[in-house]
Amino acid sequence: MTTSAPHPTYVILGSGGHTAEMCRLTQALLQQTDIEQTEKYQPIRLILANSDSTSERQFRQIMPQAAQSAEIAKVPRSRNVGQSWLSSIFTSLWALLWSCYLVWRDRPQLILCNGPGTCVPFFYAAYLWRLFGRLPSHSRIVFVESFCRVETLSLSGRLLLPLADLFVVHWPALATRYVDKKNVRYFGRIL
Amino acid sequence: MHLNTVYITVGTTQFDALISTASSEPALKALQKLKCTKLVIQHGNSQPLADDEIQLIRKNYGIQIEQYKFRPNIEDVKSADLIIGHAGAGTCMDILNNHKPGLIVINDTLMDNHQLELAKQLAAEDYLYYCKVTDLDAQLATLDFTALKPYETNPENLSKFVSAINQLMSH
Repeated sequence: MTTSAPHPTYVILGSGGHTAEMCRLTQALLQQTDIEQTEKYQPIRLILANSDSTSERQFRQIMPQAAQSAEIAKVPRSRNVGQSWLSSIFTSLWALLWSCYLVWRDRPQLILCNGPGTCVPFFYAAYLWRLFGRLPSHSRIVFVESFCRVETLSLSGRLLLPLADLFVVHWPALATRYVDKKNVRYFGRIL
Repeated sequence: MHLNTVYITVGTTQFDALISTASSEPALKALQKLKCTKLVIQHGNSQPLADDEIQLIRKNYGIQIEQYKFRPNIEDVKSADLIIGHAGAGTCMDILNNHKPGLIVINDTLMDNHQLELAKQLAAEDYLYYCKVTDLDAQLATLDFTALKPYETNPENLSKFVSAINQLMSH
């Protein structure tokens, strides 16, 4: 399997509200007036959980044009809502193997995600492959915390805080709490 | 206040209690008082209403019910006069961005119930109301949905986010 172009942007879609947020952010990134900036992020590759039946449609509805050229990869989920912690360990390992393979294969320059469990193994994979030189050293991982998180970080957020190059929070309480973390940024209400 | 079309949504979660409480007698009476004539229910992974219940509700309360599992819901959101939903970010954003009166119902059976944080914050800023599922019927009868504030987005902040990423990727 080969990719159409090197160094794509990975947009990791979760389910439900996560997807709605991610679509808005991706849209903002792809619809800048400065075309040169926009082109930097092409090609887009959407990462979806294989159990996710709605995100792709949602993305197509909001960004028909971007969806047309975007490639789509379906991956196993680390954890389903309500799944027990013990079985989460095995499904997470399987998801991690998948992520390592995809990231090794595609060498994404930017990974953009906002907190669904699906994104966690991708961050580890990207961090690892960048360390080993498989990813370019200028590749970046960006985590946008869920809009839901007002006072505390999500599980994904806590796991990925040390790895993310940019970690965006939506509410002042979180910004104050993590004021000493250099990668944490608060831009006010962006959604 | 005329809330003809009420949209109930649970997103991708399982929230049987919301569907059953919203279709209980006191809740339907409250909805009837709010001049509701149509109830659109996105039940997702929750238990949908039975056909005979739907018939009965139409007969007793004059409320027509349309229910479905999943579909792109932009139209449902836009045509709603009131949105009742779980505290997922998607539902909150649908309420805020479409300037709809909204009532968020807290699901306390979820493993990690951070949802309360968002609903509380948004309710504190008068953008929507929130309540526990056990209080839903009482709240529907008493809340004043005209007192809510319309939500303003801030495109400048979004551009700051975009610039930060542009800068991160300028090598």
